[in-house]
Amino acid sequence: MKLYIYGIIDSSNQITESTYGLEGSNIYNIPFCNIGAVVSQISQPIQDVTEGAVLKHEAVVEKLMADFTVLPVRFQTLIEGRDNLLSMMRSYYRDFKNNLERLRDKFEFGIKVIWPADKIKENIIKTLNKEQQKKLELGSSPSNKFMKDKFDKYKIDKEFEAKADKFIKVMDIFFSKFAAEKRIEKLKTENLLLDAVYLVEKDKESNFREAVEHIKTARYDFKYLFSGPWPAYNFVILSKKSGLLTDSQQTSLLNKVTQDQMLVGVDSI
Amino acid sequence: MMANTIVETESPEEFIEEIEKAQNCLPKKIDANPETVEKGLAKLVLTLIELIRKLLEKQAMRRVEAGSLSDEQIENVGETLMKLENKMKELKEIFGLKDKELNLNLGPLGDLM
Amino acid sequence: MNNVIAKSKDVTLLEILDRVLDKGVVIAGDMVISVADVDLIYLGLKVLLSSVETMERLRGSAFPS
Repeated sequence: MKLYIYGIIDSSNQITESTYGLEGSNIYNIPFCNIGAVVSQISQPIQDVTEGAVLKHEAVVEKLMADFTVLPVRFQTLIEGRDNLLSMMRSYYRDFKNNLERLRDKFEFGIKVIWPADKIKENIIKTLNKEQQKKLELGSSPSNKFMKDKFDKYKIDKEFEAKADKFIKVMDIFFSKFAAEKRIEKLKTENLLLDAVYLVEKDKESNFREAVEHIKTARYDFKYLFSGPWPAYNFVILSKKSGLLTDSQQTSLLNKVTQDQMLVGVDSI
Repeated sequence: MMANTIVETESPEEFIEEIEKAQNCLPKKIDANPETVEKGLAKLVLTLIELIRKLLEKQAMRRVEAGSLSDEQIENVGETLMKLENKMKELKEIFGLKDKELNLNLGPLGDLM
Repeated sequence: MNNVIAKSKDVTLLEILDRVLDKGVVIAGDMVISVADVDLIYLGLKVLLSSVETMERLRGSAFPS
């Protein structure tokens, strides 16, 4: 029986409220030690990425977010059989536990900012034209014209990036005050000045929202997209993926843990 | 839809446009057709060449800005870079590849194009 | 009015897709079937939406909000 995994939670308890996931199947928690994998049984991998499937998946994860700390698992992650799932949990236990601790009571918020790249460049060109000193004077051969054009473009791009850095820095200072962690992407496209996510503690949420509203008033010609709260999709760090912790290191750490605690659910294998 | 989570913007269309532009190719159906494999190889090679070419261009610009190139050197570099650019245009056309397809995400350095 | 709602839904979907398809915990292992292993066809937002609309029309149910 294939198990579709929605997320890893910091609880070994059963899900009390009836919740349905993909294929209309009931979701339940498979405990391992003091954490669990929330799954539903699925007959086959999802053939098409439809809006319905994605929304159903996301709905389950967000329901979990309301009651637990949850590490959201990527869409379409299936495991064959309970034994394999428990084996996977044993393998990732340290990683999952560390992330659950770090992300407890914290939520992800997204900010995207669009700026008018064309207008910004226009202004840059105007300013550069005024500054006569750094003008490049070359001969009129095709190679020289080529270099002149490239150089002009280089100057504009350089200034464009410098402006982007400046604006992002200002915004980041505001948001960082209330965030534990952040991931920032600058100029994903010319117009998409900022694509950032911030990890905010539950009780700092309103401060953070206030900061966002405040930033919106700074530049009315910029456009803003705010989203959240999300489970910490962008802040899960798995050392196993990068191979920092070998399997035997993980096992020995795990053995230390299990000496004090009883493995819940082992009898049911 | 969801209880708590919101996505809030006064300009949804603009964001849709930019997000779609920015999106990298998500995993597509694996196609082992020989023609596709060949095109895939060409894409890889040309992307790497573009990477080097753009780095060379940027380096040249930095030196022009610093004033460390003589007029003659600028002209020579210009001729070389121009030929490289034209050659790349040709190759892209031969393999039917657009700039978009040769884009490379350089992690913290952003995208190549 | 309908257009505005539709666009807002699109951008919400894009935000969800980005997280759910591309971020979060990625579990590797022999027994794990995940995104890369399956014939996953992401046809783009427009096609996604029309495939759902067709589904809903066939079922005759109201589109969930």
